[in-house]
Amino acid sequence: MSTAAPTKPRAPATPIDILSNDTAKLYTHIHPALVLSLYAYQFRSIVADPVPALLNTLLPLAALQIGYVAVCLPPTGSGTAAGVEKKRPGEKKKVVEGGIGGKIIPAFLSLVLSALVATPILTATLVLFGAPVTTHHFHTLLCGAHISLLSTLPLVYVHGVDGHTWREVVALLLPIDEVYGGMIGTVMGAWLGAVPIPLDWDREWQKWPVTIVTGAYIGFAVGKLVGGTLLKGKKIMFE
Amino acid sequence: MARADAIRLALANLLIPISILIFATGFFPYKPFMPGLATYEELGWEDSMKWEKDAVPEAQFDRIVFMVVDALRSDFVFGKESGMEFVHSLIIQGSALPFTAHATSPTITMPRVKAMTTGSIPSFLDVILNFAESDTSSTLATQDTWLAQLKAKNEGKLVMYGDDTWLKLFPDFFERADGTSSFFVSDFTEVDNNVTRHVPEELANRDWNGMVMHYLGLDHIGHKAGPLSPNMVPKQREMDDIVKQIWLAMENDRMHANTLLVLCGDHGMNEGGNHGGSAPGETSPALVFISRKMHKIMKDWTPFQSPIEPGSGGEFDYYRTVEQNDIVPTLAGLLGFPVPRNNLGVFVPYLLNLWDDPMDRMKLLLRNAKQVKKIVEATFPSKCFVDTEQEMDCTSPKSVGDDLACKWQNIVQVMSITEKAGAEAAFEVIYNFLYTAQDVMSTTASNYNVSRLFLGTSLAFLSLALSFRNLAIHTISLPGLFFALTLLLYGILMFASSYVEEEHHFWYWATSAWFFTLFISSSRKSWFRKFIFHPAIMLLFLLRIARRWNQTGQKYAGAPDIVHSQIFKGGDGFLLWTLVGATYMDLTNRLSRHVARSIADPETAVSEEYGSTDANRVLGLIGVLPLTSTAFIFKLAFTARDAPELTKGITSGLLGFVNHIALVPNARLVFGGIALSAAWLASVEWIASRRRKGSGKRGAEGKGDLAVAVFDLMSLFLVTQTRAQNIPLYLLFRMMVFFLSILDLPPTQITLTTLLLTQTSFFLLGNSNAISSIDLSNSYNGISDYNISAVGTLVFLSNWAGPIYFSLAGLILLGSHGRILRHVAEDELEQRDWVKEEREHLRSLVESEERVRGRRRDWGVWRRHVTLLTAFVGSALVAVMGACLVLRTHLFIWTVFSPKFLFAVAWGVAWHWGVSLGLGAGVWWVGGW
Ligand SMILES: [Zn+2]
Repeated sequence: MSTAAPTKPRAPATPIDILSNDTAKLYTHIHPALVLSLYAYQFRSIVADPVPALLNTLLPLAALQIGYVAVCLPPTGSGTAAGVEKKRPGEKKKVVEGGIGGKIIPAFLSLVLSALVATPILTATLVLFGAPVTTHHFHTLLCGAHISLLSTLPLVYVHGVDGHTWREVVALLLPIDEVYGGMIGTVMGAWLGAVPIPLDWDREWQKWPVTIVTGAYIGFAVGKLVGGTLLKGKKIMFE
Repeated sequence: MARADAIRLALANLLIPISILIFATGFFPYKPFMPGLATYEELGWEDSMKWEKDAVPEAQFDRIVFMVVDALRSDFVFGKESGMEFVHSLIIQGSALPFTAHATSPTITMPRVKAMTTGSIPSFLDVILNFAESDTSSTLATQDTWLAQLKAKNEGKLVMYGDDTWLKLFPDFFERADGTSSFFVSDFTEVDNNVTRHVPEELANRDWNGMVMHYLGLDHIGHKAGPLSPNMVPKQREMDDIVKQIWLAMENDRMHANTLLVLCGDHGMNEGGNHGGSAPGETSPALVFISRKMHKIMKDWTPFQSPIEPGSGGEFDYYRTVEQNDIVPTLAGLLGFPVPRNNLGVFVPYLLNLWDDPMDRMKLLLRNAKQVKKIVEATFPSKCFVDTEQEMDCTSPKSVGDDLACKWQNIVQVMSITEKAGAEAAFEVIYNFLYTAQDVMSTTASNYNVSRLFLGTSLAFLSLALSFRNLAIHTISLPGLFFALTLLLYGILMFASSYVEEEHHFWYWATSAWFFTLFISSSRKSWFRKFIFHPAIMLLFLLRIARRWNQTGQKYAGAPDIVHSQIFKGGDGFLLWTLVGATYMDLTNRLSRHVARSIADPETAVSEEYGSTDANRVLGLIGVLPLTSTAFIFKLAFTARDAPELTKGITSGLLGFVNHIALVPNARLVFGGIALSAAWLASVEWIASRRRKGSGKRGAEGKGDLAVAVFDLMSLFLVTQTRAQNIPLYLLFRMMVFFLSILDLPPTQITLTTLLLTQTSFFLLGNSNAISSIDLSNSYNGISDYNISAVGTLVFLSNWAGPIYFSLAGLILLGSHGRILRHVAEDELEQRDWVKEEREHLRSLVESEERVRGRRRDWGVWRRHVTLLTAFVGSALVAVMGACLVLRTHLFIWTVFSPKFLFAVAWGVAWHWGVSLGLGAGVWWVGGW
């Protein structure tokens, strides 16, 4: 197979720990409940008319996610996760752990990156997996945006934009933690969300992309919980 | 150990057809069949009623014109949009008695004709048995039908024009006949003109007392363009004109004074214009009895309106609904002959009023009831159906058999007091018995042999357990987990009727996920630089295009897809035929290599790629071009007749040439060419393999080229059996196989991929679990006379073409057949100044090739492949049988679950035994030469 050039040995990635202050420890459990409540609150209008409702939900979701990463997670390169040496010559300066202001900026950068880079990729993936091609373009795009904010934003915040780490993310090689677990949960949930669509229950909520987004939200909460507790530090084995 | 494995595998596979057979006999229970022609028998109440012995109510008619219009749905005659204005006027003036005739599934012509002539209710099993039986015994020639009765009465004569199904069912029955075959559904006019041209002449003939006409054009319009086609109303007008023509003869010619005209459909059609299943549209054909004598009935009734809106029973419910087989006892009474012995129909009540004397009506009904009672008696032999009064506890009958016995006893008791109670009371109990019997015997829900259902399901489960035992799972691997989850989820979904209808969604969903998993799996080993072009992502992309090709299933039927898009319909088919041409070019290229290799000098050819010089390649091309171009021209000629809208862009000169090609010999030429090429390549490879064994050189083993050759020849055959619109899919399939070969998967993953793609490709080609989706257009290729087993084989091969393709492709991937061998001398490696990694890489390549080469001859590898496939078939059978068992009283059992069971039978027997085991073993064997 024509594959990448051999890579230099790197320190193995370690799971992300949430910040060790009490606020972080508390809020990390409140956050998924808030995200789910937001979705539950908006669910009725999403079912009624997905495009505007999903669009309106994006902003509060982004705010929640930014708040979550800023309060609970170590920003990329902060060195909280011991042994992580992602720094390369010429890489942007470490953000020193400190005031909340020093976290809001990377959090916003993560938002911009997940909105502009991850959303198109995830939307394309949705189409590859069977999302409508000729119709429902905004539905699919917004679905991709929600999945992106749920799964990618925290990952960008903690891992930055290092290509190697992202390859490991895609290859499921990183050790599981609550951020990575949340991402895997979101994606799996979105995938499983397709199951009820063909059933003949004639419910409004079976329409595209309600079940997918619902699956993603539930998957996020479950994945984050399981990744942060039960499976923390475990690696996914394939063979 | 290996021996025990092999025995278990063989047992697991043997259990598949056995469990299917046992389950099927319990699910489609035996129906008593009465041989011989019915005769008038004593009723038994002659003395008590003071009737004359053998007194038969006088016949109302002496001649019948039975006009069947194929797929004549009720609304086509009665609805507001109907073009049959003359029939409307007959209904309004009271000369025509309209009904909606409920047809049971399977709504295809042959079983419907059987129902309309014998009065029986042919089930799915009858259809299969008809298919399995030889040509002669499946006919109705020896059965009791109203045609046979009419023929027996006063040495009557019958004539027949139209669909040759009647000629197949009733060989040598007709005095004069002209059959038309339903070969090309694009033929809207010729098939009908061929019937109509006989009408004036036959209406003037005195000799017949029964004329059957069967028009096919309307059905063809439905198949081609659906019920809303612009051709539909003009066709209805055409049929209307024929009714008018017959009516005028009946009015003006004294010899037709007692002629009855019956206009009916054999079945209806769904929104897509297809039929076979149990959608309301498919099961609601029209039925009209036409004669001036109907005034007599109508004078007591408020006149019918026509055209009208449908009634409360749904959009195809017009006027009164009767069962389709009610035609049979009704005709028996109207024309004066005994009710055919296997009839389960009930005399249509309104038509009884043609007889003035209530005693005549009662005699007719009693004859109907006594005849049905004989069948009921044979079905419930333990129950009491005597004609004398009995002590019975009928307050709450325990079973349907008891219920029927009680209802019969009611008749007996009412008959004993009829003189006092009056005829009306008798009619009520007789009808009560008849309708209950009809209901019980047609649903058969009560007749399931539940212990057989349990036994069949358990045996399927045993088969599953045996193959699982063979898999000897010790560790959880990714493909293992994926396989297990697929089996589990599939099993659960088979219990959901909507997922049976939408099964393709499951396979598309699972296959997409599997391809993405392959991407992740390969990324874990090494990162593919341009990940968008990673083979697994390309597979996902190709699958997405293929998914769009044909819209299938029920829920989104008719949604846009590529086949029906402007891409193919517009542009005069240029793009379509370019893609079809490319598919044939690719096949030509591949086959020419095999031929080139076969004529190359074996001494030099052993290690070179395809052993071919330029001269050989040219010769190979010349050798194979006649075959592939004949195949292409056949496809073009076939499509020009079957779907002319797709060949609009072909120049008229070529089209003129193509239209003169006789299709049957042309198809035979293609099939013969494929067989001949296979024989030639096999004999050359055989000789070469003997030579290789003789030489004993290391590295001189065969590359398994013959397996690839068989695959390529089979591809050509499958393409020939595929509709033109679907042929470009084979280009996508080919690319999929290419990307899969790049991925270089381990054996278990290849098996799983094969399994997923065989299932997926079935649906990609537009199939579904509905009987109406079976494509019959390529089932007569190369067949001139009616040969059921040949047609059946072609039906299977053309509908399972995708699965067969990927089944063989999976084997080629598994054995890496035909792959070029690299012989890297180890010492040479040391001398060269290569970087260490490059050397390692090369060494690993060589190792993998050595491994694969060994795999090719290893029957253990094939056995493991087959074990996984057997496990899937076993679990699918357990799920489908389990669903049919648990949901046997469910509303959808006959519309969704039992068709699915029939598809599962086809997968389990024809597919698994015929293709996976039979063909697969053959390919694996020749691949090891
Ligand atoms: Zn038809």
